[in-house]
This record gives sequence, structure tokens and C-alpha cells, in this order.
Amino acid sequence: MSLSLIEAVLLVFVLGCAIGAAVLRDVLAALMAFAAYSLGISIIWVMLEAPDVGLTEAAVGAGIMTILFILALANTVRPQENGLFEPISVRTIALVGAFVVVMLATVPSLPAVGADGAANPVVSGEVTQYYIENAYADTEVHNAVTAVLAAYRGFDTLGEAVVVFSAGVAALTVLRQEVFA
Amino acid sequence: MSSDERTGLYVESTIIMTTVRLVAPFVLTFALFVMFHGANSPGGGFQGGVIAGSVVMMLAFAYGIDAAREWVDVRVVAALASGGVLVFAAIGLGTILLGGNFLEYHLYEQFVSHATAYGIELVELGIGGIVASVAIGLFFLLAAGFGHAVDSPEGEN
Repeated sequence: MSLSLIEAVLLVFVLGCAIGAAVLRDVLAALMAFAAYSLGISIIWVMLEAPDVGLTEAAVGAGIMTILFILALANTVRPQENGLFEPISVRTIALVGAFVVVMLATVPSLPAVGADGAANPVVSGEVTQYYIENAYADTEVHNAVTAVLAAYRGFDTLGEAVVVFSAGVAALTVLRQEVFA
Repeated sequence: MSSDERTGLYVESTIIMTTVRLVAPFVLTFALFVMFHGANSPGGGFQGGVIAGSVVMMLAFAYGIDAAREWVDVRVVAALASGGVLVFAAIGLGTILLGGNFLEYHLYEQFVSHATAYGIELVELGIGGIVASVAIGLFFLLAAGFGHAVDSPEGEN
């Protein structure tokens, strides 16, 4: 698998931001690295032709999450510490390294990006083919993702919507407020 | 103490206020586009709802959180959140009443044409309402912090 220049740059950028978010000592700096990571990942999603996921990542990961984190940070006391990076223990590196190795071990069994037909069981699978062939006839929407989300898997989506609603109610309960403002 | 910190967060800037005043209507339009057009292009209720919620955050960024808090009607926020759940559940359970399965949109065909497309659109709008109002709500709740909760005595709420 060969990478185009922009893909390689994005991957290095995302990896750098992820490591930055983990090791930067200043919480606000780590937060900014995290937001940049989300933005980079969302562009990668778009390049992998998953614009729905990319839009969600950009709006939720890079947008709302960053704002909420900054607000939480503004309500806490930020200790002034010296040193740019968090001191990292050898044990943490070993643990994270082992986890990365385990995750990387699964990569060779994934189909190549853009592979078609029998080489890619995700694309040629029975369920995927059914959605691609019948989504418009069944649901009258062109975006198969929306068809799956709102029609075929509508019950799951109702659950997700209720989870978001419950999150709001839970926040009200925890903060002992009665109204959302 | 927490209110002092909050006013310290806000910087009044003509540039930000003018930019937000100019951009906000377009952002809200884009949010509605993403919600309505999710059936034919990337997007949908979740994404559009977050973008719609961010309009209120932009206003808070420009004019201060307390000003935005006064401007937003809490009843509208609560109505959007619970209304969204009710709309979604009503559309889903309605088809069961008509003798079908959950969310079997085409059973509404006897009342309106293109019932499936409109049903999905309504569900997306419901999701958008939930997500937007919860995003706005979490924003204001986090901005207020634990200040009120700690000050008010137990059991008074």
C-alpha cells in the first residue's frame, strides 16, 4: 500500500498531535493538541470516503468537545508548572507499547484501502450489498448511511438519541440544576 | 468567586462581535441544511444538531456567556430536547399501532405520499433538536460550574 504525500503528512500530523496530547504537561496545550488531532482525523475520514464520520468528528471532536473541555478547565485551578512535557515512566511506555503492538498485529488482516470484490469482505459482504442495492427502493433516501441510521437500524438510533437526552438530564442532576441555562 | 472568573473569561471585541453577527445566520442555515439534506448528502440529525448548538456558543463567545444565557429561552431548550425524543418515539411506535413493526415508515403511506422520506426527515429533525439542546445545555451548565450547586443547601432544589 502506497501513501500519497498528503496522506503521509496527515498521518504524521495526527500521530504527533496524539503523542502531544498525551505527554504535554500544560493541560490547555494538551487540549489544543487533542483538538488538532480530531481535525486531522476528520480530514483522514473524508479522504477514506467516510464524509459522515468526518463531519461528526469535526463537529463533535474538534468543535463541541474542545469548547466543553476549555469551559471545564476555566472552572478549575490550573497549576503553573515548569517543564514542557510530563515526566514519563518506563512502565507506562512498556504498557502503551505492548498495547500498540497488539493493535498493530490486527492490521495485516484488514482488507487494503480501496480494495474491491472478494479481496474486501466488508464491501462484498451480503449485508453491505443488500444496503447498496435496496436502500433507495426501501427508504427513498440516497445516502445509504442515513438509510441504515434512520430506517434499517432505527431502533438503535432511538437508543442513541435517548442516550444523548439522558446525558443532558444526568448533567442537570449532577450539577443540581433545574433548567438548561 | 466563580462569577468573577467567568467575567474574566469574556473579552469584549468589536471584531469578534461583528464576525459572529455576520457568520451566525449562515452557520444556522448550514446546520439546517445538514439536518434536512442528510438524506441525500453526508450529514444528518447528529451533525446538524451539533452545528446548530454551536451557534449559541458563538454568540456566547462574542457577547459573553451571561448575555447568551439570558437571551436563550430555557423552555425552548427543554422543549427541543424532550420534543425530539417524543417525535422519534411517536413515529416509531405509531407504525406498531398501525399493525406493523417499529419504524415501518411505509405504513404511513395511506396518509401522506413519500411517507418514508418524510418520516426519516422528521426523525432526523428530532435527533437534531435533542443534540442541539443538550449541547447548549451542557455548555451553559459547565460554564456555570459547581458554584451554584455547592452554595445551595441540600434538598433545596
